[in-house]
Amino acid sequence: MRMLLCLAMVGLGAMSVGCESSEVASESQVGTETPGSQFVLDTEPDGALAVGEARQAIEDGQDVTLVGLIGGSSEPFVDGLAAFTIVDAKVPYCAADEGCPTPWDYCCESEAVKDNIATIKIVDESGSPVAADARELLHVKELSTVVVKGKAKRDDLGNLTVASSEVFVRQN
Amino acid sequence: MLLPWEYGVRNLARRPSRTALTLVAIATVVMLVFVVVGFIRGLERSLAVSGDANVVLVYSVNSEENIENSSIAARTPSLLAASLDGTVKRFGVTHVSPELYLGTRVRSEGDTEGLGLVRGVERTAPLVRRSVKLVEGRWPGDGEVIVGRLAAAKLGSSGDALAVGKRIEFEGREWNICGRFAAGGAAYESEVWCRLENLQTQTKRQDLSLVAMLLSPGRLSAEVELFCKERTDLELRAIRETDYYGSLQQHYKPVRILAWFVVLLVSGAGVFAGLNMMYGAVAGRTREIATLQAIGYRRRAILLSLIQEGVLLAAAGSILSGVMALTMLNGLAVRFTMGAFVLRIDSVAILIGCGVGMCLGVVGALPPALKALRAEVATSLRAV
Repeated sequence: MRMLLCLAMVGLGAMSVGCESSEVASESQVGTETPGSQFVLDTEPDGALAVGEARQAIEDGQDVTLVGLIGGSSEPFVDGLAAFTIVDAKVPYCAADEGCPTPWDYCCESEAVKDNIATIKIVDESGSPVAADARELLHVKELSTVVVKGKAKRDDLGNLTVASSEVFVRQN
Repeated sequence: MLLPWEYGVRNLARRPSRTALTLVAIATVVMLVFVVVGFIRGLERSLAVSGDANVVLVYSVNSEENIENSSIAARTPSLLAASLDGTVKRFGVTHVSPELYLGTRVRSEGDTEGLGLVRGVERTAPLVRRSVKLVEGRWPGDGEVIVGRLAAAKLGSSGDALAVGKRIEFEGREWNICGRFAAGGAAYESEVWCRLENLQTQTKRQDLSLVAMLLSPGRLSAEVELFCKERTDLELRAIRETDYYGSLQQHYKPVRILAWFVVLLVSGAGVFAGLNMMYGAVAGRTREIATLQAIGYRRRAILLSLIQEGVLLAAAGSILSGVMALTMLNGLAVRFTMGAFVLRIDSVAILIGCGVGMCLGVVGALPPALKALRAEVATSLRAV
């Protein structure tokens, strides 16, 4: 009888250990889940427009899918908010062998950038910009190619801003 | 058994000329260290207190980090005030300061001419630049200027030449000095401020260099930055004022590294000078040291007494230099590319200066004392 009791206790102990290890595993799975993944899409949206084309065709308030490279100035990211500027892929930037330390500022093509740049801000459900660094939130960096889906904001001066909560990051 | 404390003290008085010379040498080295460390601390302090975490500077994206080269449209302040709701607003006044900032030749009375920094401002400027205080006179009217506490140092002229009631000349016009201001050591203290419209008229410019905005507590400078990114047509950039001066700290990093290197060099040279002095001092006392050994004092006791002499001398030199630095160097204005700042002999400078002085005493005394103690007693007693 005592032997049976001991076996039962050992069995229970083994089960509880098993349960603990299972919890740890599930916690670590949650931990490895990419932060900000609610804004990151797994599949690329169809029908993305280039930035230059969108600046010509898109109306204020229209839904749009836009593709471009993060850049346009030496600091394309906004510190403290998930926002950045993207440039049309047709605008060339300095090649790596040219030795330019910040090729994403398009210093040799500043005139072309003016008509081929858009601002992307990542917004939450209420439409407010997310107070986080976009680099950490979306795992992007300068010259990353992104496809963003959102609502366009245009003004009479041609400025284009897209408020988006869906971003696909292309692997360059 | 140790040698009596008074023995070392009396020894210093036995050779007054040599002691005085060593004291002057140590004091000079420590003073040089004070000058360089005071320079570094003053520069760092000036840049550290110049920024306000709640103030955002908006200027041209094409001017890189140099605000003097910035040119933005005159309508920018009203556009920013209308588009952003995070700016402080009290009694109907939005705390936004449009400014025209330039470096220009300024001639003061006595024909002294120097490169000065002139800022054209409106009455909202002190609301945004909260460290600025009028210490004498009044706010400038038409054709009048107020001068910062360090403007004379920046211009290389005397303080009297920039007193209230005197006249200065820049941009082809004479201006009356109607007031003086302080800014707690901030960079503006080396500037001359006048009315914005007066400066625009004289320079035939309608644009601005920058707009400074005071944000309400809890508001992010990123909101202004985002606005600048969205309005690409305006070609603006926004930066928190503390970050701007932080970037200048980085800009002047090589200067600071060089200055610390000078401290090292001066200290090294001081140690060699001290060594030379102490070698001379100990060499003349070979018989005395041998006699002390002969009557029973251990080498360690004699070594400690010699170090005591060196440390006493070094401490006296350090204190002498410290007092001189605090009374004569502290607060002395220094002209620099970005304006002017004051040498700052603070606790860190005192600690480093006196630390170097004490090291001179110990390191300078140790090798010659060891050399003297290594000699044979009998030989040393016969030494002339």
